[in-house]
Amino acid sequence: MALREQLRLMVVDDMSTSRGLITQALDSIGIRNVATASDGAAALQAVLKSPVHLVISDYNMPGMDGLHLLHYLRNTPQTAKVGFLLITGRADPAIIDKGRKLGMNNFLKKPFETADMKAAIEAIVGRL
Amino acid sequence: MSDPMNDIRASFFIECEELLEGLFDALQTMSDGSADDETINVAFRAVHSIKGGAGAFALDQVVSFAHHFETAMDDVRSGKLAPSDDLVQLFFRCGDILSDLVRAARDETTVDAALVDPVLEELGKYSTSPDSGEAEEEISDFQPLTLDLGDLGAPADGADDDFDALLASLPPLPSDDEPQEPVARTVVFRPEPELYKSGNEPLFLLRSLGELRPSAVRLDFDPDSAPGARMTWTVEFDDPVKCEMVEEVFEFVQGLCTLSFGSDASPRESVPAEEAAGTFAPADLPMDKIPEPASPTSDVAPPLATIDPAATDEDGPAEATTAMPGGAPKGGAAPKNMASPTVRVDLSRVDRLVNLVGELVINQAMLSQSVAQSSLGSNTAITSGLEEFLQLTRDIQESVMMIRAQPVKSLFQRMSRIVREASAAVGKKVVLTTDGENTEIDKTVIERLADPLTHMIRNAVDHGLEKTEDRQAAGKPAEGQVRLSASHKSGRVVIEVSDDGGGINRPKVRQIAIDKGLIPEDAALTDGEIDQLLFMPGFSTATTVSNLSGRGVGMDVVKNAITALGGRISITSHAGKGTTFSISLPLTLAVLDGMVVSVAGEALVMPLNAIVETLTLDGESVRRLGPNSNVVLVRESFVPLLDLGVELGYRAPKENYAGAIALLSGQEDGHRAALVVDSIEDQRQVVIKGIQDSYGRVPGVAAATILGDGQIALILDPSDLIQNSSGQSRAPANIEAV
Repeated sequence: MALREQLRLMVVDDMSTSRGLITQALDSIGIRNVATASDGAAALQAVLKSPVHLVISDYNMPGMDGLHLLHYLRNTPQTAKVGFLLITGRADPAIIDKGRKLGMNNFLKKPFETADMKAAIEAIVGRL
Repeated sequence: MSDPMNDIRASFFIECEELLEGLFDALQTMSDGSADDETINVAFRAVHSIKGGAGAFALDQVVSFAHHFETAMDDVRSGKLAPSDDLVQLFFRCGDILSDLVRAARDETTVDAALVDPVLEELGKYSTSPDSGEAEEEISDFQPLTLDLGDLGAPADGADDDFDALLASLPPLPSDDEPQEPVARTVVFRPEPELYKSGNEPLFLLRSLGELRPSAVRLDFDPDSAPGARMTWTVEFDDPVKCEMVEEVFEFVQGLCTLSFGSDASPRESVPAEEAAGTFAPADLPMDKIPEPASPTSDVAPPLATIDPAATDEDGPAEATTAMPGGAPKGGAAPKNMASPTVRVDLSRVDRLVNLVGELVINQAMLSQSVAQSSLGSNTAITSGLEEFLQLTRDIQESVMMIRAQPVKSLFQRMSRIVREASAAVGKKVVLTTDGENTEIDKTVIERLADPLTHMIRNAVDHGLEKTEDRQAAGKPAEGQVRLSASHKSGRVVIEVSDDGGGINRPKVRQIAIDKGLIPEDAALTDGEIDQLLFMPGFSTATTVSNLSGRGVGMDVVKNAITALGGRISITSHAGKGTTFSISLPLTLAVLDGMVVSVAGEALVMPLNAIVETLTLDGESVRRLGPNSNVVLVRESFVPLLDLGVELGYRAPKENYAGAIALLSGQEDGHRAALVVDSIEDQRQVVIKGIQDSYGRVPGVAAATILGDGQIALILDPSDLIQNSSGQSRAPANIEAV
């Protein structure tokens, strides 16, 4: 079975439009095991109940932002090793640097093409 | 199947409306001066999210504008720019432009650059960085971390409350970039005598403060102070503590003590608390209530926290409250704080449901009728079951109507823009206050209210409010007030637009009406009647056609729009104090309270709100004016008599109307008419079935309905009937009785 069929993902974004866009891109890459959440806490709770390989999260969210979620994931034993791809509207070096320190696997700048998404994921998990 | 991208695109524009609403809410809070950090965050996030989504759909005009807007807002967020009144006002204008751009993008049009550029230019003046935009710093040195895809591991079992505990136990995000919140390293606490009198215990307060892990506590005693105010505690922290969290501890003794914060370690030499405790003379409070003197060492916190076993029990939750705000901004990450979940439903599905419920109501009425006609007693299981069915039907109907109901907030927000634009255009200072934004009305009504309300708001700004100089001369504040309010009143929604202007200039209105030939020169009109002249077609008080109102669209158009919604509009005006327009609307357009009448064997429904009273005509009161026109004397004034049978073409005029039944119908413009019917059958709720799609506009008829016996009945439009009556049974106008 191809890797893309095995991969289980969690997409976190407060905007349903963005969740739609990301899942749509994933769908065209061939990644179909995708769960979504509209905020960090819900995402964390969901991946605890149903573990995933990779969390794709927006940076800018109310309450818990993307990096905050990453920090919580890394500090929860069950999710400490999950892959984390940050999606951000602004590739602010400060954000990326903070992400690096927290153990972010990769980031992707909005707006993105499907190919960008594929490359960003492949950089983490290998060829899809 | 529809293209998924199109669906996402459509949902993007819906989401944009929500984000824009949030943006304007936040801006309003900022302009009220009650904004906190999270407010500007919300505003920023809204613009940022719109930009992000627009980027995905290559809506370049939106992206570029949102980018500039976002940059300025980010500067406010990071403290580089102060949110001055001018800047917040500019943000409002930016919000307006952004709304325009988003809507233009949705409708696949563009916005004239002449509208956008001046705002951009003004935004540029606030720019803190020389190139606000184009080239973002490239991040070239980030190396993706590869991941070994091992087993996913077993799902964590456990209840949801375990999750809350887990969330609470997680360490706060290292805060390297959150210097905004006020922090302190010393907290000075000085209880006032009132604190003791009201039964509060400094011990408990200090114990709670101990949970914030202070490094030292010092007690100063001043024998010269008033009894009960002699002790002052100074608590020091190695790591800065948030003032907000300290204030939380002292929340219940606010005003009963002095609390002050210091940003660095106390300048005074830190006296070990033990010594301090030893120095004070017998005080006016029982000694056993003084907390255990804390040692000045850095591990002071544990003893403080463990004084009371109960306090240790609370350690977990206490840490939770300290851990979470460490990283999470207000609003919190706890899912419990989230707004109630919503689901988006296609309006056509709701409409279908509304229709089906309409059928249910009709069906229930038919059933009731056949049961009533059968020889069943009133106490049978069928009749009592039917009662319950009736109640259920009503409940379902109300619930379904509520699905369509929406708060008027979005409509009111649009009006604040109208006020901003209108006041700028006429050079008046105007403040809009709104009230009852959460009042809910049928979505269709809200949509159809936008135009009339826009016009009324413009009128209020343009005509209602005086010029600034005139206001000042009249001793009023220079800033004019326009108030927009919504409320529920006896099953209807009342929307009021009021201003604190000069009131209606009645002599001027009267003169204009005479000049335009709307009324005879010697007409004796009451104040109320003069006010009603504003609603006459072709009336405009503006001596010059201004850019705003007076574009040929008068209040008559407003009135027609309101009437079409089943509403009424009225005016109250006080010279020098202002004018209030009051719109009263039905809660829904789907059902109507009506009176079922019979005319020439046909069942007709008259909207109940149009009926002032029912009359039985006597030979005395009906006067013949012409061959086929009659008036009827109702309480000192003559009212035209309209025979519905004649108006609707069912029959020829009667010779004599003595003994006939008439419905007195009153219109907001003061026009009244007595409508002759053969009999009154019933008063009930009817479900409105549109007939315009099939038959076009039928004069005098608003819609149709199906009655309980399955018969179709026309719902009359009394104002149309009265205005366009054939004249066969009608007098030319209201005539004052002499």
